[in-house]
Amino acid sequence: MAHKQDKASMLNQGVFIFVYLAILTVLEFLVAASFNSTAVLIAVALVKGALVVYYYMHVYKLSADHEGDHNSYEYKTGTNRLGLWLFLISDAFVFGGLLVMRMNLLGLTRPHLNQLLGLGVTSILLISSFFMNRGETMIAHGDRKGFLNNTLITFLLGLGFLIGVVFVEWRLAAHEGLTPSSGAAGAVFYMMTGMHAFHVLTGLVFLAIVWINGRRGLYDEKHYPVEAAAVYWHFVDVVWIVFYPALYLVGTAIV
Amino acid sequence: MRHFVIVGILVIALAVLTYVGLNSAGLMPVPASAQAGPIDWLWDVQVKAMSFLFALIVVPMLYSLLVFRRKKGDTTDAVHVEGNTTLEIAWTIIPLFVVLGMAYIGAQNLGEIRRADPNAMVVNVTGFQWGWSFEYPDYGITSKELYLPVNKQVLLKMTSRDVIHSFWVPEFRVKQDLVPGRITELRITPTMLGDTYKVRCAEICGTSHAYMEQPVIVVEKVAFDAWVAEQQALAAGAGQTPEGRGLALVTANGCRGCHSIDGAPGVGPTWFQLAGSEVPLSGGGTVTADDAYLAESILQPQAKIVAGFETQQMPTYNFTEEQLADIIAYIKTLK
Amino acid sequence: MKRKYSVGNGLSFLLLAGVVGYFIGLGIDAVIMKNIRWTAPVPSAFSLLCAFTAFFFGVYGYRGITRGLVYQVVWTLIGGLLVTGIRALLGLSAFGGFFFTEPAWVFGALVGAVAFLFGVGVMDDWVKWARGIDTPEFHEDEPGWEKYLGVSLDHKVIGIQYTVTALFLIAVGGTFALIFRTELAASGLQFLNVGMNLFGQNGPQLYNTLMSLHGMIMIVSILLGIAGIINYAVPMLVGAHDMAFPRLNAFAYWVSVPAAVLLLMSLVLGGFDTGWTGYPPLSVKAPVGQQMFFLGVFVAGWSSILGALNVIATVVRMRAKGMTAWRMPILVWASVATSLIALTATQLIGLSFQLVMFQRLFGMGFFDPAKGGNPVLFQHLFWFYSHPAVYVFVLPGLGVISELLPVFVRKPLFGYRWVAMSSLGIALVGFLVWAHHMFTSGMNEYLRVPFMYSTLLVAVPTGVKFFSWVATIWNGKISTPTPMLFVLGAIVVFLMGGLSGPPNATISVDLHLHDTYFIVGHFHDTIFGGFVFPFFAAIYYWFPKATGRRMSEFWGKVHFWLMTPSFFVLTFGMMRVGLLGMRRRIADYDPAQGFDTTHLILTIAAFAIALSVLIFLINFFHSIKHGEKAEGNIWNSRSPEWQVPSPMPAHNYETPFEVVGEPYDYGLPGAKYIEFMPAQGGKH
Ligand code: HEA
Ligand code: HEA
Ligand code: HEC
Ligand code: CUA
Ligand SMILES: [Cu+2]
Repeated sequence: MAHKQDKASMLNQGVFIFVYLAILTVLEFLVAASFNSTAVLIAVALVKGALVVYYYMHVYKLSADHEGDHNSYEYKTGTNRLGLWLFLISDAFVFGGLLVMRMNLLGLTRPHLNQLLGLGVTSILLISSFFMNRGETMIAHGDRKGFLNNTLITFLLGLGFLIGVVFVEWRLAAHEGLTPSSGAAGAVFYMMTGMHAFHVLTGLVFLAIVWINGRRGLYDEKHYPVEAAAVYWHFVDVVWIVFYPALYLVGTAIV
Repeated sequence: MRHFVIVGILVIALAVLTYVGLNSAGLMPVPASAQAGPIDWLWDVQVKAMSFLFALIVVPMLYSLLVFRRKKGDTTDAVHVEGNTTLEIAWTIIPLFVVLGMAYIGAQNLGEIRRADPNAMVVNVTGFQWGWSFEYPDYGITSKELYLPVNKQVLLKMTSRDVIHSFWVPEFRVKQDLVPGRITELRITPTMLGDTYKVRCAEICGTSHAYMEQPVIVVEKVAFDAWVAEQQALAAGAGQTPEGRGLALVTANGCRGCHSIDGAPGVGPTWFQLAGSEVPLSGGGTVTADDAYLAESILQPQAKIVAGFETQQMPTYNFTEEQLADIIAYIKTLK
Repeated sequence: MKRKYSVGNGLSFLLLAGVVGYFIGLGIDAVIMKNIRWTAPVPSAFSLLCAFTAFFFGVYGYRGITRGLVYQVVWTLIGGLLVTGIRALLGLSAFGGFFFTEPAWVFGALVGAVAFLFGVGVMDDWVKWARGIDTPEFHEDEPGWEKYLGVSLDHKVIGIQYTVTALFLIAVGGTFALIFRTELAASGLQFLNVGMNLFGQNGPQLYNTLMSLHGMIMIVSILLGIAGIINYAVPMLVGAHDMAFPRLNAFAYWVSVPAAVLLLMSLVLGGFDTGWTGYPPLSVKAPVGQQMFFLGVFVAGWSSILGALNVIATVVRMRAKGMTAWRMPILVWASVATSLIALTATQLIGLSFQLVMFQRLFGMGFFDPAKGGNPVLFQHLFWFYSHPAVYVFVLPGLGVISELLPVFVRKPLFGYRWVAMSSLGIALVGFLVWAHHMFTSGMNEYLRVPFMYSTLLVAVPTGVKFFSWVATIWNGKISTPTPMLFVLGAIVVFLMGGLSGPPNATISVDLHLHDTYFIVGHFHDTIFGGFVFPFFAAIYYWFPKATGRRMSEFWGKVHFWLMTPSFFVLTFGMMRVGLLGMRRRIADYDPAQGFDTTHLILTIAAFAIALSVLIFLINFFHSIKHGEKAEGNIWNSRSPEWQVPSPMPAHNYETPFEVVGEPYDYGLPGAKYIEFMPAQGGKH
């Protein structure tokens, strides 16, 4: 696999992928607004998720095998990667379960939510993934300053997302009568966004840790922690890529 | 080769022995419904299969254990045999077809016991903590016993007022959960007269789950009609008087699942000669069963617990003033 | 100085603190509730917690597990008080019947569980990492038994910690079973009646709590037991010096301890009456104990998930040179299959329990039909884990059977590849069968038949195992020391359990069998055959590897010959009454059904099993110090761990080995499985 590339082409690749993601998101929104087709929405979400998984989370690194000494840093990093991915697979089952619950309880209806806000927070999270990818690429090429700046931006965007969902969207929804105890739709909405927000929160903690440690001068060739925080962050993004249509776009809104 | 012949004979012997032994013990309760027939038949097939498979594994194992046992002082290894692909394929494919066949038979069997009779009599079953109430919509009556005419299919439409319960009469075999918020169905055709059957709640539903049992009575058509007429007459007369309305309420809310009206023991204290009596309370003391006490016992059962009933719990009910007065009036008639 | 701590000390502390704790609790309760309540839950809770903590203090001092427990108690209270304070400020009811209100208990318990982890010290390295400090790869353990009560990163220590915790929980769960079996000995309520007031519960309510906790504690003990076997054996079998993530490994073990405490707390906080399955809406109405139960299982689930992750990573990344997939010991295959299930499906039971917890706390209507919820949804989520979980229970056990048989038969495992693949087959098909627990639940009718087909399919790979075992035994040179006895017992018992599976899977028959003692008999058979017997076999087999001594053969045989027949009586009796109409989960049964005699026999059998387990426990602890010395390859096994002297050194193989042949080539002259590499120096 072509994962040993120079910095500039890696950064460019990040930009391209981001543009694709942005276009697809707008497309998705328009599809939902015009001829709401569940199949198209699912297809778009799958494509977006696959792009992030491949280009931002670089799954292919899993198959890159380092022969030789089991105690070398490279070999251990390979093991760590596997461990992290196993964890993500496990975690994905929670979100899968939440989706099943959502389909079972709400079917082709959805809670009545603020569409612009939804699109807004979704964009923020996507943009944060873009910057995270830049940050990781930079530390991989020894650019500490670039890494710190981009990670900070990621962190702030992530915080913005969290505030947008928990402090703005939850309030708005509650104001409109959608509360956790108001019925199945409310329960599903708060459960799904809440569970995701909890993961965003842990992601923010990881980002804060690598940022602080990065400032202290850690992470030279041995920058696996940054990669791990990044992969985790993108994972949270992938989850939202699926949750966003599931909550905001699929089916018809009920009041 | 000699070994295989002996083992083969022993397998068959043990299989037959196991099957006969199990069967002679009388494994199932009496079959009292049309649904029991196919189920017992399939069960019998499975006992045969189980007996055979059990023998098939256990006999060669024990035989090896006895015959190929390590001799004292022998320290050598056994003959080196790694495996045999033909054998492995055989004991993958054969069981595969056996289970596919079994599943096919199982599906047929299920179809048989679910065969619907368009003229089935409908009974609406309500389960609650911890009792049953049976409503006969065709006749406009409600009962605490499930009265059924023999040889006529009954369609039970069931729901629950609180938690999940499960309708099961072991002699009828089939069972079905009662789920709050939805109606589940079960079809039964009783085929054997009897008044010792009971519907027994099969899904844990809280403290008194064990006692959620009520009589099921299967009678001839004539007797059933007579029972219906009697109940209808009772119900018709009931609406006029407070006692009558009380009785209706008591039946509809399933009180009599726990309280007898003739002094018989039950989950709750009997109502026979209750009004006006001195009721011993848990933790000492007594209280006179006046209207206020009765009302309190119904609305807040936990307020005063009757001695001897500490381990049982009565559900809390909500009644209007008038309804309460009717119920109390009814209880007062039980002298 | 060395003898400052001892078990004797611990026991006297236990008694003292139990009494003191009771009165502290009584005082607190009296202040809050303005009433002296001798049998209220709070005094008993304090009594228990103080007693446990003091025991470990006497044995071990204020460090490791003792510190963890103290942290857990203190932070549970702090967390609870925090919520109580907030509620008081908001003008909500501050205290409830169980001292704290439900939200306060839940939050407190969660904080307490996390605090335990910090207290015991498993988080130390990670906290350092977060602060950018590197930590050494290996910690030196204390010598002797004391390392078992604190954090160790050595997989062998962790394996033994798991095993002993599992044995402890089996004893607790088994004791609960003995209590409620005593009640079941005759119809009517004789023992668990009004007179028997425990933690504010009595009668059927107490029965329900004990029965439900019996189920879940036993299941958790199984999860810990298999984690014990896997943790101890797998790194040695693949030739690794430890698991892939030693710290995570320690973490996964220590998570299970506060989980067990939470489960026991549910007993004290009003109990719960749903059985281990916790179906709503009943579980929404049960007392606070239900929340502790959910939380305990949730936390234990993390132990399972993280442990499974570690096993997979270890097997994928840490195998010795030359150990290709087809040369892995069969137990390693089984462990991978198990871990694949535990890694993924466990999340779903966690989610289902979490949803009920939230429904209780925030009124979220997931399973409340009045709010548009669906009670049956819970059952789908729950069984999506809990069915595959039963294969989590048995696959390692079946792996142990396949691993030990060749050793005692002196023949290769018949059809090694088929046996290995059958584990994966069971695991994968096991994901598609969950709804067979729901044939009567009122789920969509059209789902029932497909689930019958998929369920019956599991019999095929399981059959492959059985037939291969028989073929392995056939014509072998069989010897029967204790581990082999348990292996043979396991095969027969599991066969009975397995064969009672297909009738449950055929829908129409299950409509009769569902929720009866037939099912209870079915799963005690499968669990004993697939887990309990192999677990004992594994302990008897690897005990010398861990201690350099072996357990008494004589008492081992007594254990076996007492337990096996009693167990047959127990499960046959269960199936018999079940078929005749005995429902599950009832404290009392209708005398008219005529079960009294059978139930009496069952209770006697239960006590006989308990006696045999007691014999085992004594043998186990006695042999650690006083067993016959056994430092060599006493079973004459080809497996790598037996090629080095016992007990195993701290970082396993001092010289790494290379795999040069097939694992089970018994009887092939000159065949070798492994070869130690010439020393290179500087590597462990
Ligand atoms: C430890 C684990 C364990 C194992 C291994 C199994 C194995 C199986 N179980 Fe069991 N089961 C439980 C534990 C286990 N079970 C528990 C705990 C419950 C109750 C949960 C609760 O409600 O509390 C339960 C309940 C349960 C039910 C629900 C019953 C009900 O509540 O109504 C069903 C229904 O299908 C079922 C089926 C099976 C089947 C088909 C197998 C199969 O895997 C068995 C396969 C093995 C064989 C068949 C024998 C060997 C094979 C051969 C010799 C080959 C030839 C065989 C044939 C051709 C048939 N089980
Ligand atoms: C590992 C799993 C496991 C094990 C080993 C057992 C072991 C036993 N079980 Fe268990 N059982 C379950 C798992 C298990 N069970 C599950 C999952 C349920 C379902 C619960 C539900 O419906 O929700 C259940 C339900 C269940 C019931 C049905 C209850 C009901 O439906 O109302 C019964 C009834 O007889 C029973 C009996 C027994 C008995 C007699 C033993 C005996 O083997 C026990 C023998 C005793 C011991 C092993 C203890 C010995 C130890 C000592 C004597 C030492 C004491 C020392 C100290 C305390 C330090 N069990
Ligand atoms: C599940 C069983 C159950 C049901 C159903 C039930 N009860 Fe009870 N009832 C009890 C028990 C147990 C007691 C005794 C314990 C107590 O006092 O709380 C009791 C006590 C009473 C008493 C006081 C009796 C005495 O001897 O002092 C009255 C009156 C009463 N119930 C009325 C009713 C009415 C009216 C209904 C139906 C609307 C009803 N019960 C339904 C179980 C039940
Ligand atoms: Cu109703 Cu059990
Ligand atoms: Cu199952």
